[in-house]
Amino acid sequence: MLDTVREVLTPEGVALRLPAAGPVPRALAWAIDFGIRLSLLTACTMLLGALGKTGMGVYLIALFAVVWLYPIVCEGMFDGQTPGKRALNLRVIASDGAPVGWLASCVRNLMRTVDMLPFGYASGLVSGLADPWGRRLGDLVAGTMVVHVPRVRDAAIITSEAAQPPAQPLLPTEQAAVVAFAERAAQLTPERQIELANLADMATGTHGAEGVQRLFAVAGWLLGKR
Amino acid sequence: MRQELFITRHRQEWADFTQWLDARAAKPRRARADRNWRGLPDEDVPVAYRRLCQQLALARRRGYSPQLVAQLQALMQRGHNAMYRPPLPHWRRAFEFFLADFPCLVRAEAGVMRASLLLFLLPLLASFVAVQVKPELIHALMSPQQIAQMESMYAVAANKLGRESGTDWMMFGYYIFNNISIGLRTYASGLLAGIGPVLAVAFNGVMIGMVASHLQNAGLGDPFWRFVAAHSAFELSAIVIAGGAGLRLSLALLVPGRRRRVDALVEDGRRGARLCLGVFAMLLMAAFIEAFWSSIGWLPASVKFGVAGALWLLVALWLWRGGKDRNAR
Repeated sequence: MLDTVREVLTPEGVALRLPAAGPVPRALAWAIDFGIRLSLLTACTMLLGALGKTGMGVYLIALFAVVWLYPIVCEGMFDGQTPGKRALNLRVIASDGAPVGWLASCVRNLMRTVDMLPFGYASGLVSGLADPWGRRLGDLVAGTMVVHVPRVRDAAIITSEAAQPPAQPLLPTEQAAVVAFAERAAQLTPERQIELANLADMATGTHGAEGVQRLFAVAGWLLGKR
Repeated sequence: MRQELFITRHRQEWADFTQWLDARAAKPRRARADRNWRGLPDEDVPVAYRRLCQQLALARRRGYSPQLVAQLQALMQRGHNAMYRPPLPHWRRAFEFFLADFPCLVRAEAGVMRASLLLFLLPLLASFVAVQVKPELIHALMSPQQIAQMESMYAVAANKLGRESGTDWMMFGYYIFNNISIGLRTYASGLLAGIGPVLAVAFNGVMIGMVASHLQNAGLGDPFWRFVAAHSAFELSAIVIAGGAGLRLSLALLVPGRRRRVDALVEDGRRGARLCLGVFAMLLMAAFIEAFWSSIGWLPASVKFGVAGALWLLVALWLWRGGKDRNAR
């Protein structure tokens, strides 16, 4: 319940980490999609209103497409992302981490009929809260789940070319923390860098701006610069 | 091995793989047509992907920095998506599905299909006979206005059968939205432990039986049968099949047998969805016939019933024989 990350072992023997999305971002994504659907229908009404009864028929076909086909087609064509899900960085995938197929997308969207019962996706919400990976009934039947798309940061940049061993031996987790600091430093303000480097004074032996430079050097040494 | 050395040694591989993913993974059809590609050859991608997985495992095991591991993980995830995506749909495949796979699937689910057929036919016949015997029973189901409206749709003088107003196109849209929604809902409501499909199919049976019986009583039998004969071939069988698909799903929930309940649901949910694709096509066909053929009032009854008989025969043959030669091939 607390850890929503699902780990799936791929055939290559490496764990995929799938961070499951909760009800709130999913509801927001649904709301965005709902807005898009409504505006599509409104546009249809304006265009087809002039055509009288024939226009009414075409409008009903458009209504069918918007109600039933919109999510299936979007998820099938755009790699598991409707426009709303794209806006919130969500994606539908198969439970084993593979991209969602057309058939699974059909099943999970047809099952919305049941998830909506008795009102406002209540069944889906209950199922999503009870399931460890936040799947609604449709997701359970289709064998799919909705995940957050991971944000990929740019290549690691080490600012210092210097290399210096730490003042005292560091545990593996401490080594990882120092290297992570050096790689993330470009995104931090100088004040914050100093603040963080002060916490690691047992590795550098100094404080302040000099401590930051020393910590970069330690990171370089840990990464293999000699 | 220190992280820096590890990176310098493998950086080029990662760059090549990333480049391949950027250029060729998203649009495989276009990529295949493009002969000028000089990067990582397509046939070497699986090897590159497996190497990447191995490097990721090493990076994790050796405790390299979280940033590097996250980068490799993201790259691996993209590779995994490209490697394990479902095959692209083909038009030829869709044709094959409707002609052969779908009838096979219906016959494979003979049990639930029979149950669904009974659930439909028994109420239909019962309500037909009931209204023949006690005509006032129709008032239990419909208000006087509805009855009057229905009767005017089949009034002998009308040159359009089965509708009071509205063009063929409008009714086409209406049938598509209304009937296909009902069909799809019948299937999906199977998740409600079978209550959904049973109610939907039986209610349809009662409704159709009563309406037919009442119109027969009112002396409007001829226009009514002329109207419904043709499209009912697709429409009624589609309702029964959708009900069967829903029952299949509810059986997976209620009696999963030796499978885990969730596995049973996934497996039977997929079968049901494939059936639903067929139901969708059948109801589309029915809507087309109902809108543009059934309503023609001036055609003689013999032509109408002849075409209807041919359609019923076609549907029966299709569901009974379609895809029978598959195993022989």
